Amino acid sequence: MEEAIVRQNYSEKEKNDIFNDEFLPHLNSMYNFGYRLTLDRDDAKDLVQDTYLKAYRFTDSFQKGTNAKAWLFRILKNSFINDYRKKSKEPAKVDYQEVETYYNSEDVDRQITPDLRVESLSNMIGDEISNALNSLDVDFRTVIILCDLEGFKYEEMAKILDIPIGTVRSRLHRARALLKDKLSEYAKEMGYHKS
Amino acid sequence: MNHPEEPRKKKQDCANQVDCLKMLQAVLDGDATPEEREHFLREHLENCLPCYQNYSLEVVLREKIKTNCCSEAPHDLAEAIKQKVGQLPPH
Repeated sequence: MEEAIVRQNYSEKEKNDIFNDEFLPHLNSMYNFGYRLTLDRDDAKDLVQDTYLKAYRFTDSFQKGTNAKAWLFRILKNSFINDYRKKSKEPAKVDYQEVETYYNSEDVDRQITPDLRVESLSNMIGDEISNALNSLDVDFRTVIILCDLEGFKYEEMAKILDIPIGTVRSRLHRARALLKDKLSEYAKEMGYHKS
Repeated sequence: MNHPEEPRKKKQDCANQVDCLKMLQAVLDGDATPEEREHFLREHLENCLPCYQNYSLEVVLREKIKTNCCSEAPHDLAEAIKQKVGQLPPH
């Protein structure tokens, strides 16, 4: 977060090589991230395109040998917040301070034994998992995607999201509890639940 | 119903479930130290039923997310991006 940006001075060829060899291979992950943030396939396409254009324009701020994927994800996340979220029809539902208080509140601890069984979860088809994830507030979806799908370490997530590592930890904790709650609702509705 | 108690290896209750769940997350996310990991997986889970169940659930949940929450980019997206990038004026 606070690392000084060392500007490189790549040649056009180097820039293009970096773009094709280091940036473009992450297209599927980037698209998925864009989709999970916006929940709209067209918006996701636009967001990803914008992100890649920015990445190309700012290639000189990228240092070869560092984590290109984390670098790209950070640009995408910032583009989402700065460009997309402003014009989004979906109003920001939660104010940041309120969210952080919520993360740290004791009710997290009440959900230590979620009302969800391994068997119910194993029987679920993909849509339920995907819908449950999409139903979470965007900050919660984000940490689950970064961690579980993309395999980022907490430290990398903290950089991508510009939040302290402790917040990454608590947000993930809360996000997983909420996700399990949601899935356990589905399980009940579908009669998987037998207690 | 009362069944004669079978000898059980695992505890039915965990006094530290809150902390255990946090540790479980750290272990699965690669945020725990090797010692913490070793202790949690080899000692605690072996002896504690609620934590063992939570662990199994978290493992399945992560697998499910991995297999069900990935969308591939549309086929034309890479081309569209390359074209746009090519149109940018060099600076």
